[in-house]
Order: sequence, then C-alpha cells, then structure tokens
Amino acid sequence: MTLRARLLKPFGRRQASEVDARRVAPGTLILFLAPALLVYAGFTLYPVLRTFYNSVHTMRPHGVVEYVGLANFSALVGVDPVFWKAVGNTAIFTIVATIADVLGGLLLALCLFSRPPFAKLLRVVWFTPVLMSYVVVGIVWVWIYDYDWGLANLVLRSIGLGAFEQSWLGDPRTALWSVMATHIWKWLGFNMIIFLAALSALPGEVLGAAELDNCGWLAKLVYIVIPMLRPTIVNLLVLSFVGKMMIFDLIWIMTGGGPLWSTETVSTYVYKRAFDWNTFDLGYPSAIAVLWFIIILAFVMLMTRLLRQRDKLEF
Amino acid sequence: MEAPAISFVAYVRRTPLLLFLLVYTLVTGGPFLWVATMSLRTTPEIFAAPYAFPSRFHWEKFAEAWTKSNYGTYFWNSMIVVVTAVLLLTVIGAMGAHCLARYRFRGSRLVRFVILSGMILPPQLMILSLFQILRDFGLYNTLTGLIVVYVAGHLAMTMYILEGFFAQIPQDLFDAARMDGYSDFEIFWRITLPIGVPALFTTVTLNFIILWNEFLYAVVLLTDDDKRTLPLGVMHFMGSHQLDVGMLATGLMITIAPIILLYACFSETMIKGMTAGAVR
Repeated sequence: MTLRARLLKPFGRRQASEVDARRVAPGTLILFLAPALLVYAGFTLYPVLRTFYNSVHTMRPHGVVEYVGLANFSALVGVDPVFWKAVGNTAIFTIVATIADVLGGLLLALCLFSRPPFAKLLRVVWFTPVLMSYVVVGIVWVWIYDYDWGLANLVLRSIGLGAFEQSWLGDPRTALWSVMATHIWKWLGFNMIIFLAALSALPGEVLGAAELDNCGWLAKLVYIVIPMLRPTIVNLLVLSFVGKMMIFDLIWIMTGGGPLWSTETVSTYVYKRAFDWNTFDLGYPSAIAVLWFIIILAFVMLMTRLLRQRDKLEF
Repeated sequence: MEAPAISFVAYVRRTPLLLFLLVYTLVTGGPFLWVATMSLRTTPEIFAAPYAFPSRFHWEKFAEAWTKSNYGTYFWNSMIVVVTAVLLLTVIGAMGAHCLARYRFRGSRLVRFVILSGMILPPQLMILSLFQILRDFGLYNTLTGLIVVYVAGHLAMTMYILEGFFAQIPQDLFDAARMDGYSDFEIFWRITLPIGVPALFTTVTLNFIILWNEFLYAVVLLTDDDKRTLPLGVMHFMGSHQLDVGMLATGLMITIAPIILLYACFSETMIKGMTAGAVR
C-alpha cells in the first residue's frame, strides 16, 4: 500500500496539495480541534461571559433575575467596608509575598549555585512544599502556629524569647503575616528552581572576567547577575503577583478570613458572599470577581510594560 | 576545569552558609517528617509529647482511616477524577496542540489566541457561574462535572506546553510521512505522539499534581460526603466536632503519599513538570 502510494502519488493530479503536510482537510481539522474547542467554549468561555452577565444583575429567590446596571459595582466601591478591607489585605499580601518570594528564591538559588555538598539532594528537599496541596500545608501550619503545642511558640520558649509567643492565627495583628509566611514557605522552592535554571544558563566568561577584576560577590550579584537575570525576574514577579492577587485556598483553610476580617482577601470574600451568606445572589460576588479581574489585568499589563521597556533602552 | 581543593580557611568561611542550608532543609522537610511520625501515633500520645518519635508504630491507624474515617472513598474519588481528567487533557490537548503546531488553516491564530488566553483567567471569574451552569446541566455535585471543569480549566496550559514542543519537531518528518501516504491521523499517532513523549510526560505530571491538590473547584462543586475528593475529605475532618489530631495526620499522610512516592522515583521529571509553564 505504502509502496503503491509512493509510486502513484507523483503522477496524481492534486499532487502539490496532497504532499504539502501543512495542509489539512477541513473535516480532519474539525475532528482534531472540536473536543478542545467544545470543552473550552462550554466550560471556560461561557462561564466567563455568564459571570460578566451576572455582574450587572441581582438574583432574588425563586429564580428572579433583575437587571441593575452598574449598581453592584457602585455599592461595592462606595459602601462596602469589607471589600476595601479585603483589597487592603490582598494588596499587602501580594506586594510583600511577591517580593519575598522572588528575592528569597534568588538567594536560595545562589546558595545552591555555589556548589555546596549534597546540592542535588537539597534541591529536591527544598522543592517538596511546592508539590503539596494547600490543604496539607495549611493544616500542618495551623498546628505549627498552635498556641499550646505549636512549634513556633515552642522554639521561641526554648531560646528564651517566651515573651514573644502568641496565638499567631488568632490575633488580628499577626494572622495575615503568619499566613503569608506559610505561603512564602510553600513557593520559595518554585522560584529557586527557575532561578537555578537561569543561573546555569548564564555565560561563564562574564562571571570569570568579573572574578579576574577582583569583583566582590555582592558587586557581582548587583552589577552582573541581577541585570542578566532580568527577564527571569520580571517573569517570576508577574507570575507570583497574579497568583497572590487570587489567593484563596491557604487563607480559607488556615483562618477562613478571620479573625475580624484581618485575613479577608478579595477571593475569600467572593466565596463568602456567593456561598456562605445564603443570599442566593450571585450578582454581587460576580461584580467583585469581574472588577478584580480587570484590576489584575491592568496591573499585569502595566508591570510587563514598565519592566520590559527598560530592557529595550539598555540595548 | 576542576575547582581547586577547598582549603580549611575556605571551609570555615563557608560555615554560615552550610549552617543555613541545614536549617532551611529542616524547615522545608521537617514538617512532613513530623506529619509522618504523627500519622503513626494516637492522639493521646501526640498530646503527651507532640514532637516525640513513635514509641510504637500504629500501622492499624491507616486501616482505620481507610475504612472508618472514609479516607478510602475520598482516595478513590480523587483517583477517578484526577486520572480521568489527566487522560482527557492529554488526548484532547495533544490533538489540539498538534493542529495548532502543524497545520496552516484560516483562523488558526484566532483559535490559538482564544484558547491560550485561558491561561490568564482567574478561577474566581468562572467558579460562580460554573456553579449555575453545572446545575443547569445536572452535573452539579457529580464527579463527571468536576472532571469536565478540570479539563476545561487546564486545557490552555496543557496546549501551551505541548504546542511549544510539537512546533519544534522538524517539518521534514511530516513531509516525508505525507509522501509515504500516511493519513493525518497516522501522522498524529505515529509521529507527533511518539516524538512528543517528553512533553506529554511533563504535562501529565503537572496536571496530576495540580489536580490531585485542587481545592477551590472541588469545594464549590461537590457537597455529598461520598463524592468528596481527598483535600475536601481532609478539610471536612479538620472542621469536625471533636478534632482527632492523630487520625487527621494519618489522613494527611494518605493524601501526600502518592505524591511523595512519585517524587521519590521521578524527582527531576516532577520538578521539570511543575516549573514547565513558567520558563518561557
């Protein structure tokens, strides 16, 4: 069959189009693409559009849907103190944790890049938290933060800093920072791996030349390594930023947004308004989700623009 | 070029670094070892000395968790959902990625843009209406519904990774196959897939880990106890009346055991898989 086809093909009339492997019959194309497109249209695009639709409506019991225009949005921005509290918390969380994640990841990567003993093993162990679910991480850290038998207070007591022991997740002043520490702990390994890959790809001659010039390690880091890692840093900043703006799981598991809204984030508030308050109104939480998406998108575009444009000027 | 032997002075100078490495290793690995010890101890034992090594290994706790505390059901629910979703994602994603990477057709750029833009959509934007939509379709509170949502949610990332890899396969190979009279399906089955195995491996690990750990969609879309996946089961146990710390630790161990086992065997693949979407 194959041989016959090979012998006969060159003499066929539609030779050119049949041999061009970049062309495809419409039927085949549809067969290949249809599953992806259908699933995507039905369970990603349609839900997004429906959320936008919901955001300008109010849902009352018994399936009554009422068009309210931008009323949800104005209520949200104008008279919802919990929303602003959530925005504030999410902003603090995002800014501090993003910077800590990227800087910490870079430092860890540099540690391993200096070829300490057991570097391979350390890399594997340090990455473990990334693979664990938020539920596991959250519960373990709730125990670590426990007032009576948690490791955090135990360590403080054992090194004579018993005065600093507290109910880490129960105090509104420390709850957000405690959850943040756990989040950073979980994701540092991820950033480290990316930086490690980027560091190994750096041209060795530049670092060698710097060494010949008696360049100290700090100067080497600030003037050579960081500028050369710039694209990686920008990518990780954006990635980390987006992830943290949507933080839900860890907060929901560790504190549920409490105490006193001190860890309430935009995402946990959306969830509470939709499923915990028994108002059956999906319109208002949809408005929060839509507004927040637009803000995230705007920030991402701004960040990539600001941070990448510098690249162009340098060259 | 081999680095010169490190002198004694250099070793002393590196002590702070080595000390830090040790501490950080304890900080990252320690909590999991702690859970492992607790999973083999009873709650009274744990409360007597939370950080002690098990005096007697209570392996029977795993059997008890599996049957009495319903972790067996949760485990199989998780397995069914994750394995089905990963299989579907791989097949559907590979077919789509093959088309985008290989064929020139009208609208290909639009299709690519629409699907790949799904990567930046936050789950919060879809979860509320997915709740409504699944109810309309009668898929709310079913494992099927969760599977479909998982496939839709991770299709963009899967196709992004696969397309990037498929596009690098030399075109000559496909031209030759076409000359030999391979049909489009044969080209996909006998060239793209076998050559794409490393990329498929990456997406399979990535999707498996993410879905095994997934919490938000599951908590919104499932309510019955006998449909809960492992993260939900563990969370439910955490919130129950009298918290049985020892049994919860056993549940946590059941949840992380598959990941730890896989990680012990394929650490490099899994690290590569988890970070695949971030390296551009």
